[in-house]
Amino acid sequence: MKAIINYLLVTVLTLACSAAWSFDFGEEFKKVLKDGVQKKIEEKSDATTSSTLLGLVGTSQEEEITIGRQIAGNLLGASALVKDQGLQMYVNNVGRWVASQSERPDLAWHFGVIESGDVNAFAAPGGYIFLTRGLYSLLQNEAELAGVLGHEIGHVIRKHHLKILKQSSLVDLGGKLLSQRIGGNDKVQKLIGNGAEIVARSLDKNAEFEADRIAVVLAARAGYDAFAFPEVLQQIGHFAKDEGSVALLFKTHPHPDDRLEKLGLVMTDRLENVKGKTLVARFYRIKP
Amino acid sequence: MNSIRLGTALFALLAMPAFAAETGNVIRADGIRVEPFRDAKTIATLSVGDKVQIVKKNGGWLQIESSKGKGWVHMLNVRKGDIGKRSGDIGGLLGMASGRSGTGKVVATTGIRGLDEVELQSAKFNETELNLVESYAVSRSEAQSFAVQGKLVAHKFDYLPSPEVSPE
Repeated sequence: MKAIINYLLVTVLTLACSAAWSFDFGEEFKKVLKDGVQKKIEEKSDATTSSTLLGLVGTSQEEEITIGRQIAGNLLGASALVKDQGLQMYVNNVGRWVASQSERPDLAWHFGVIESGDVNAFAAPGGYIFLTRGLYSLLQNEAELAGVLGHEIGHVIRKHHLKILKQSSLVDLGGKLLSQRIGGNDKVQKLIGNGAEIVARSLDKNAEFEADRIAVVLAARAGYDAFAFPEVLQQIGHFAKDEGSVALLFKTHPHPDDRLEKLGLVMTDRLENVKGKTLVARFYRIKP
Repeated sequence: MNSIRLGTALFALLAMPAFAAETGNVIRADGIRVEPFRDAKTIATLSVGDKVQIVKKNGGWLQIESSKGKGWVHMLNVRKGDIGKRSGDIGGLLGMASGRSGTGKVVATTGIRGLDEVELQSAKFNETELNLVESYAVSRSEAQSFAVQGKLVAHKFDYLPSPEVSPE
C-alpha cells in the first residue's frame, strides 16, 4: 500500500518535473485503482467486453466496482437508506431477478431505496442502484418497479456512467494527484470528482433511450408486464417541469413524453402480444 | 348517448383538469380493435390528435372510448392527459395538480429535502450506510426462488433496435 503511494508520488513528481504531460492516463488510472478493491468479486473476467464497450481504456470489473462503491457511499452520504428491511430486501429480490436476465447476471448487484421526496433513480458502475422514496411511492405494482430498476441496470450493463467518468476525469488526473496525500478511498474519489455529482450528470439522450429499451426487454424477459414501465413514465410526465421533486430528473433526462414516443416506435411491434405479470398483490407498500 | 358521453368528457376535460389522466390524445394513427390483440378485428381508425377516454389498461393495450367507437388501441399510441401540459401557465398548473395528487402523501409527511446537484456534490462517503445496503444483497439463486414464488417465468427476447426514423 505504502509502496504504491510512494511509487505514485515519485511517478507523478517525475512526470511533473519533466513536464511530460503526454503520459499515459490510462495506465495511471489503472495503477490508482489497483489497490482499491475491497469486495469479493463474483463475476468472471469481463475484460473483453469492457475494452470493446469502453473503447477508451480497459477497466477491469474490479476497478469498475471500486469506482461504483465509492459513488454509492457518497450518494448514501447525501441520502440515507429508508430504514425498512422488508422494503430493501424486496427491492433487492426484484432487482436481482431482473438483472439476472441481463448479460451480467453474476455481478454483485445492490439495490436500495433512499430517503428523498424527489422522484429519481440512480445507477453507479459495478451494479449499485438506488431509487428515491418519492419515486417508489409513485409505483403501483412489482412490474413497474422491475421496469425502473431495469432502466438503471441498463446504464450499468452498457457502462454509460463509466464512459463519461473516464472522458471527463482522466483529463485532470495528473493535476489532482499532485495536490495532496492520498488515502485508499481518496484516490478513487479523485477520479470521480466531488461527492456523487456523477450520478447527477446528464448522459447522452440516446443513452437514456437505450436504457428505456433495455428496461422493457429485461422486464419482459423476467416475466413482467413490459408495459408497466411506460406507465411509470406517463405518471412522471404528469409532473410540471418546474416542480421541485422532479427538477433534477427532468434536467438530466429527456422529457417522459419524448421517451414514451421513442419507446412506442420500437416497442409496440415487438412486445404488444406479450402478456406478463404485474404482481400487484405482492408489491411491497412503503410505510408513509 | 354517445354524444352525451362525449359532451360529458369534454366538459370534464375543460373544467376539471385534475381528471386529465382519464383522457388521452392519439399521437400515432392506430386501429380500434375489438380485442387487445394485433390480429383482432379493427372497427375504425384513430387519427393523430383524436381525443379518447381511457377505460382501462391491459398490458400494452388501452381500452378506449372515442367518437369513432369503443375498443382497444396500443398504449404507446396514446398520450395520456393532454391539453398541452407542456406549455404555458395552464400546463404548469395542470401538471402540478396531477403531480400533487400523485405524491401528496410523500410531500406532506416526509418533508425531506430534495437531492439537488449541490447536495450530491458535497456528499460525504457514508461507510455505515454502504455496508448496510450491501448486507441486503440477494444471490442469483435467491432471486430465482423469489421469482418462482411469484410464478414469474423467464422468456427470451432480443433487445430492441434503436428507432432509426423519428416521427414527423
